[in-house]
Amino acid sequence: MRPGPAEEISAAISEGMIPAHVYGDPEVFELERRNLFPRTWVFLGHTSEIPHPGDFVLRRIVDDSFIVTRDDTGRIGVHLNMCLHRGMQVCRAEMGNTRMFRCPYHAWSYRNDGSLAGLPFHDEAYGGEEGLSRDRHRLVAPARVETYNGLIFAAVEDPGISLEDFLGDFRFYLDLYTAQSESGLELRGPQRWRVNANWKIGCENFVGDMYHTPYTHRSVVDIGLFREPKAHKRKEGVLYHCGVGGGTTYKLPPGDFTERMRYVGYPDIMIDRMAALWSEPQRRMVGDDGFMVSAATLFPNLSLVHNWPIVREGEDVVPFISLRQWHPVSATETEVLSWFAVDAEAPDDFKADSYKAYLMCFGSSGMFEQDDIENWVSITTAAAGSMAHRLQLNSRMGLLHDGGQVGRPLDDFPGPGFARVGYGEFNQRNWLQMWSRHLFPPGAGDTTGRDTGGER
Amino acid sequence: MTGTTSGSGGKFRTSLPHDDPRHLIAHHFLNEEAALLDAAAWHLWLELLTPDITYLMPVRVTTMADTDPSTLGTHARMDHFAEDLYSLRKRVERLSGGHAWTEDPPSRTRHLVTNVRTFTAETDPPVPEPTGVGAVVEVESALLLFRSRGDDRPPEFLSAGRRDLLRHTEHGWRLAHRSVTVDESVLRTQNLAILL
Repeated sequence: MRPGPAEEISAAISEGMIPAHVYGDPEVFELERRNLFPRTWVFLGHTSEIPHPGDFVLRRIVDDSFIVTRDDTGRIGVHLNMCLHRGMQVCRAEMGNTRMFRCPYHAWSYRNDGSLAGLPFHDEAYGGEEGLSRDRHRLVAPARVETYNGLIFAAVEDPGISLEDFLGDFRFYLDLYTAQSESGLELRGPQRWRVNANWKIGCENFVGDMYHTPYTHRSVVDIGLFREPKAHKRKEGVLYHCGVGGGTTYKLPPGDFTERMRYVGYPDIMIDRMAALWSEPQRRMVGDDGFMVSAATLFPNLSLVHNWPIVREGEDVVPFISLRQWHPVSATETEVLSWFAVDAEAPDDFKADSYKAYLMCFGSSGMFEQDDIENWVSITTAAAGSMAHRLQLNSRMGLLHDGGQVGRPLDDFPGPGFARVGYGEFNQRNWLQMWSRHLFPPGAGDTTGRDTGGER
Repeated sequence: MTGTTSGSGGKFRTSLPHDDPRHLIAHHFLNEEAALLDAAAWHLWLELLTPDITYLMPVRVTTMADTDPSTLGTHARMDHFAEDLYSLRKRVERLSGGHAWTEDPPSRTRHLVTNVRTFTAETDPPVPEPTGVGAVVEVESALLLFRSRGDDRPPEFLSAGRRDLLRHTEHGWRLAHRSVTVDESVLRTQNLAILL
């Protein structure tokens, strides 16, 4: 029997080669839609987006629309945006505050915890509770909803692993972005825009592509947005990968923890909080080793970025954090959701400057993002051609023909997982291997370690 | 003939007559500016801005008709652009530097500016001559931006309203503030490597 697309893709990926059609093939998208997205933890939003009882935002997992609510008791819930009666979308606003979602078709009404509150002519049309028990009806929920550091995730079907276990030791790195104080992040946004690019390319770019920075982002270095005049400083950073996530770092100039945090633009009051909150190895990664987190991706489609541009002529740099989701629309279209994120306890003037730093660099108008997406659209256009079925893209950076590796992982890196200095596609291969394992339906193919990440 | 009337949409203002000198100045300014943008004459465009320019393009969100925007949390206050002269200058430097790949090959754009409505604007201190140095006029316009790039993708449109403040400086009329109200909540364009 001829192997199916999932088998062929999986075999190529294990050799570090990527069948080019995976970036534009509707058949592959169908495997992702059916086997990947419903069966793993997917990011939906952050608790700071719905701070008050009744607040809600509308988010999607592929083509399922979910209302993410904070109910009257303050609890977070996720409800399928589909009336139990005729399937109408009961919520058609992307955000707001309400006690009740009322279907405009026949006026079935749901509380903000998803439970059915009422329906017209309950007695006359349904025979009251005997015909249709309101207590036993509620909007459909995904199998699991859990939060970590305010990040809300849902799994449509039970992935058989808690969110904390899924995140595993990647939390060490996630915390550096999302826990800069006890209060955690507050998000603004998202900016949303649709691009003719496959969703995977952004994930791979953020998980470990330090190699593109010097050329793709040359214009941003040219105009002096950064303190460093040379983009190839990028190769002095480490790539780290740990279970379901991986990312890139910059190597900072010599100094201790405080000096290095100041170098990227944090005020002392924030540095003190991070020093108090972060573990000794987390502080050591920045303070002793001088590695500062930059881009990262958490499987499947949430990326994070941290950078520090100059936001005013002749002044110092200011750091910003962005969360971004590569929401798959089709094999050739992605909706980008890009949030500005900042520590909730940061001083107001820091928040304002950090927001400006974000807008200049990332998001719909961001000067980094513009050139990134240019590449991804171009790849997707080429990958939709029939010849893309005959081309395997070389994703073997860091591997030798004899199976050896260029360089080796650091022995004494303070963080979990593996870390290595310089360019390499180790992280992308890890992400791709995890992705390819998810193309198979449950029980088929090699799904070992499906949700706990890959190899070194 | 300026004033406000209350209609079903709330406060509705009547614009200056189209033969008012302030309207003629504002309309001329917007057309000249559009010509510079379509010619990618970015540096000349920068010269039209006051040093204290604020250039905003808030993100539009889809809310129910009865939602009071002020009840949405701070998270909802997001922009596509929130620029000052420094960041606009950096964007122009980038686009002109030869390494901004997303605009190489460049977009072919057409800034279609219509529905120009001019209003008097208060100044502090008041200017005796309505078009004299120091005077400010407020001008609203509709913008349909056509953008075509390369040869294998359909062109894109961005529809937006603009509210501008023009100030008469000693160097001539300059743009002191622009607020762009885009008509989509999810932009159908690859990026905003363009100016509106």
